[in-house]
Amino acid sequence: MSHADIATARASTDAVRGAPMLDVRNLTTHLTLRRGVVRAVDGVDLHVHEGETLGVVGESGSGKSMTILSILRLLPRQTGARIGGSIVLDGQDLLQVSEKTMSEVYRGRKIAMISQDPLTSLNPVFTIGDQVGAPLRHHGIARGEAARRRVVEVLDSVRIPSPDARLNDYPHQFSGGMRQRVVTGMAIASAPRLLVADEPTSALDVTIQVQMMALFRKIQAQTGVGIILITHDLGVAASICHRVAVMYAGRIVETADVRTLYKRPAHPYTQALLNSIPHFGQKKERLFAIQGSPPSLIDPPAGCRFAARCPHRKPLCDDAYPPEVELESGHRVACWLASGT
Amino acid sequence: MSIAKRLLHGLVSILGASVIIFLISRLSGDPLALLLPADAPPDVIEQTRQHLGLDQPLVAQYLKFLGHALTGDFGNSYRWQEPALGLILDRLPATVELALAALAFSIAMAVPFGVLSAVHRGSWFDRFAKVFAMVGQAMPNFWVGLLLILFFAVQLNWLPAFGRESWSSLVLPAIALGWYPVAAQTRIVRSAMLDVLDSDYIRMGRAMGLPERVLVWKYALRNAAIPLVTILGVYFAAMLGGAFVVEVIFAWPGVGRTVVEAVFARDFPVVQAGVMLTSVLFVLSNLLVDLSYSLIDPRIRHG
Amino acid sequence: MADLTAAKTASAADSAIAGAPLRRRGAIAWGTLPWFALLVFPVLIVCALGGELLLPHDPNALDLGIAFLPPAWLDGGNWAYPLGTDNMGRDLLTRIMAGTRISLVVALYAILISGGIGTAAGMLAGYFGGRLDALIMRLVDIQMSIPSLALALVLAAVLGPGFETVVLVIVITYWTWYARIVRGEVMSLKQRDYVALARVAGCGTPTIFRRHLLPNLLNTLLVLATLQVGQVIIFEASLSFLGLGIQQPDVSWGLMLADARNYITNAWWAITMPGLAIMATCLASNLLGDWLRDRFDPKRRQL
Repeated sequence: MSHADIATARASTDAVRGAPMLDVRNLTTHLTLRRGVVRAVDGVDLHVHEGETLGVVGESGSGKSMTILSILRLLPRQTGARIGGSIVLDGQDLLQVSEKTMSEVYRGRKIAMISQDPLTSLNPVFTIGDQVGAPLRHHGIARGEAARRRVVEVLDSVRIPSPDARLNDYPHQFSGGMRQRVVTGMAIASAPRLLVADEPTSALDVTIQVQMMALFRKIQAQTGVGIILITHDLGVAASICHRVAVMYAGRIVETADVRTLYKRPAHPYTQALLNSIPHFGQKKERLFAIQGSPPSLIDPPAGCRFAARCPHRKPLCDDAYPPEVELESGHRVACWLASGT
Repeated sequence: MSIAKRLLHGLVSILGASVIIFLISRLSGDPLALLLPADAPPDVIEQTRQHLGLDQPLVAQYLKFLGHALTGDFGNSYRWQEPALGLILDRLPATVELALAALAFSIAMAVPFGVLSAVHRGSWFDRFAKVFAMVGQAMPNFWVGLLLILFFAVQLNWLPAFGRESWSSLVLPAIALGWYPVAAQTRIVRSAMLDVLDSDYIRMGRAMGLPERVLVWKYALRNAAIPLVTILGVYFAAMLGGAFVVEVIFAWPGVGRTVVEAVFARDFPVVQAGVMLTSVLFVLSNLLVDLSYSLIDPRIRHG
Repeated sequence: MADLTAAKTASAADSAIAGAPLRRRGAIAWGTLPWFALLVFPVLIVCALGGELLLPHDPNALDLGIAFLPPAWLDGGNWAYPLGTDNMGRDLLTRIMAGTRISLVVALYAILISGGIGTAAGMLAGYFGGRLDALIMRLVDIQMSIPSLALALVLAAVLGPGFETVVLVIVITYWTWYARIVRGEVMSLKQRDYVALARVAGCGTPTIFRRHLLPNLLNTLLVLATLQVGQVIIFEASLSFLGLGIQQPDVSWGLMLADARNYITNAWWAITMPGLAIMATCLASNLLGDWLRDRFDPKRRQL
């Protein structure tokens, strides 16, 4: 199926649910490094509706974080990144927007990000009151007393006890879980449309993870924010995602709503990932090691990128990259098996 | 090392310094030769010797010296019959003022240079700053002072070159004295900034759409400043030491100039008092560095 | 300061007998050579060794008729006196060249003696540890609690100015550099296998010092000595400037600056030229020292 066909298929779903808030088409991110051009993200399509949580699952190096950084256009200068495709948020293509607008209008305001390590995400020499209020002040949302009140409100909504008293405290005075909640608060303070969370719970222990997921659900219910949740943990993905996209070697290999993905995974990679889980919902620390390793992103193979490690490998798989097919509504997969040859 | 232990070390250092100072001044030969005319009768010499306690063994003399020193008594200046320590203390504010001004100047240069070098790492500015720093570090401070006088006072006649009349008199001496540490301080700031700019919380700030200017000069700088601020005591101490020559050049009425003059006049009580006081301040400034770690970094403050 | 770790790769057994070999670095990267230093040092050494033979004029020849000649490229200048003359009609270039010799000789003596004492002290402290270490380090601390210039003043006051005083003062000030750093290195070298094996094999302490420790310290010592040249020259210039160092009729750059200060309004070149000589020497020393340090330990290269 071509991009056009998928668009049509999706259009019919949209007719039911409304157009997606975030619509990423054919996103490519190529980094120019010393060793060559790395095709970190190589033609990614994904979309998120309001109030929906999309999980992006994959092993490290698959391009999950790169996708997010590309959406936010936060790739460091040294990488010589070139981003192609389209990233449409509420009708505006972010790749056509100036850097100034990105910084003033989108980052920290319409799109917010939470990253992995709560222990280092907060500036140690500034109070949390100052830090949580910073996006508010710099985006012109609130100043002075109004900003202070909003900060207290936000901290309260992320369940920081006695927020008023703790405004002048420093990050090291909070536990890891609380810090992650503070960071979450900072992210939602300006009521963003899209929240991107890059492995928000991998640095925290299990009980905190459960709390964080509950918090995300609550925020989503209250504000209708769309969430992209990046994780390598299928259990976490299962707990709050509506839909899941599986990423491998810079491309999305399978997308489905969460139940379908876990019950009827179509792509061999997804199946392999799921095989490491005894039952649905039981948490695993790490993905089990599938034989072999991902291909080079500088010079990726012409055919299916998972072929080398796939138990169902056929000659065709090495020759050409499988097109995306829609198996059932909302369930798409890029695999020759599904294309039925 | 605990604070108490460090204080003890400091104390030992000061005591040691006093021994050295005492011994050196006793090396100068018979002080009596300076006090009495050459043809004084032997019994007068003997009496004076006993009176001054110069017939006692060296250790006893030292202890006496120390005892007096602890009460602030360094004897009277040979030139003006006034307490030596008093003369020195009168001049101390001027020296401290100069040292602080020099420190302020060096930081005012080092911070912008360091920050901009880090932000524009590898650029022509970065290389220029590095060269500038290298050259600056090769210039002796008294020469810098002379050049400043030559240029600003003699040629341009903008700033005064001597004395301590108005605030503008402070400018040239402060620059001359504060010139030397700029290179080292710039390196510290630059290195710290490079680390901080790479940190997660700065990246988070960028993801939150905070303007780059604010990120660099507010959020990053405060972290990067910590290594520099904590060792300011060391630089203050260095300024105290360097002040000696700079004060002479600019005729700045501070401790340094007084000691130098006293050296030429062989006025030992003043020399002893001056050097002793400078050493005490020197040790204290260095001790302050250890204390400042806990004061400045909130992480350490709260435990 | 330099904090080098000399990496050795010889097999332990062999080295116990033969003495630990130094690692040889690879090819020279021509682009990174410190060209300035490599140009300046030979010039200085030639001036110093050449002595009177090279001097265009007599450094002390007075000729008031040609006093205050500006540098040759300016109006009124004369190419026989390329850098101009001072208030007594003495040729500046000649005097600068003559001053080179004194400066380098002072530096040589100072570095050898302070380096020798400091290294010995550092080795003893680092190797034997315990009380000896504590004692030596305490001495270092005490020494360093008196600002170096202040200490120099007192010593010079007592001993009188002159060449020997200057060398002594510098030795007393700078031995601590070596002591501290050598101690650190020795403490880490002590842990190496070949040292332990040497002890087991019955090598006496002096042998261990000579064959195992010293060769591994050479890199560090070379870097320190190179860096020290600049420091020493500035220090000597400061002392001579104050009148406590080299005396007439010997020529020192510091002394030249002190003279020139008196007629600063008439002859800016007399202030500038000797200072440039000091700066060039110090810059060369720093550049060469930094380069050596980087060459011996790439991990330390500053970005």
